[in-house]
Amino acid sequence: MRSIVYYVREFLRPEWLKKFFFAKTAPLVTPSYFKDYPSRTEKECTACLSCMMICPAPGAIAVLRKKDGWEPEVYPGHCIRCGLCVEACPEGVLASGRILDVTRRDKTAFSSWYRLQVDDTLCMRCGNCCVSCPVNRQVDPQLAGTGTSASDEVIMRIEGGRVTILHEEKCTGCKTCENNCPNRAIRVARMVEGVQGEEAEA
Amino acid sequence: MSILQDIKNAVRSRSIHVSYVDVGSCNGCDIEVLACLAPRYDIEQYGIYVHNNPREADVLLVIGSVTPQWVDKLRDIWEKIPEPKVAVAIGNCPISGCVYARRGTLTTPPVENYIPIAAQVPGCPPRPTEILNAILSVAPLIYKDYEEKQP
Repeated sequence: MRSIVYYVREFLRPEWLKKFFFAKTAPLVTPSYFKDYPSRTEKECTACLSCMMICPAPGAIAVLRKKDGWEPEVYPGHCIRCGLCVEACPEGVLASGRILDVTRRDKTAFSSWYRLQVDDTLCMRCGNCCVSCPVNRQVDPQLAGTGTSASDEVIMRIEGGRVTILHEEKCTGCKTCENNCPNRAIRVARMVEGVQGEEAEA
Repeated sequence: MSILQDIKNAVRSRSIHVSYVDVGSCNGCDIEVLACLAPRYDIEQYGIYVHNNPREADVLLVIGSVTPQWVDKLRDIWEKIPEPKVAVAIGNCPISGCVYARRGTLTTPPVENYIPIAAQVPGCPPRPTEILNAILSVAPLIYKDYEEKQP
């Protein structure tokens, strides 16, 4: 008898009734490590396009020209929330979750360079790549025609009938050589490496 | 009459049956939908039941970028669901094709081209909370003036 009274009293408690009739799970909190879609901070975008170049999802981020300067825009239906754009941005224009705090704490950054690759079986030694390259033209204005050059400072030149790449590190990634190659023999690849510590600060 | 109708609709919208169909995803979103069923997010406490049978479903969760084999079959599944019904696109794939939206891939997103989509849950994959919120927010819409609009 006493137990029945106890249970009736228990079941009439307002908290119990509320718990019973309304939603119940443990509160669905967002974990601290959650990265949402990148949002803009008030830092100014310099339109270096690092974010667009590193983005693995097609059409997820675009740097758009607004009235006062450039602004990166993230498209939710395309973005996979990997956070690479946030990490890659040198200015810290984007923020998402605690990515910026972690990169600052661990001193991590991305370093990138361009790799030039010539497929010798496709290359027909026309020298278009060497002639069209805007960096080459600046270094050696005499460079023309067959792509041979007396200068050792050019990015690439024709040596003994084949393209030799001398200074890959000077490449700016404009891909003019790729566009001017009749055989698609030369390829410009952007290489990205994660670095940590003093390297990252430099 | 309308008060009675409101009560009926309110009660009905707390008893939603869900069916999900994977039209060529990477299984990431499937696992997030599965996480909704697991005790942590526990979709059943909201009165949502997953039978995965289109004939008794109210909500169809479409997962994945549509592969060509699924184009006609998805249409069939959609037609099997009795009225009232809604479809929810889960993840980026049915919205845009996500990472599969490249030249040379055998996918034909978006899913809106094949069946009407009531809600989209972007994410790759979306969090179970987001999926749950989407289902809960379309639930009242399914039965909204349901009986009035019938002939």
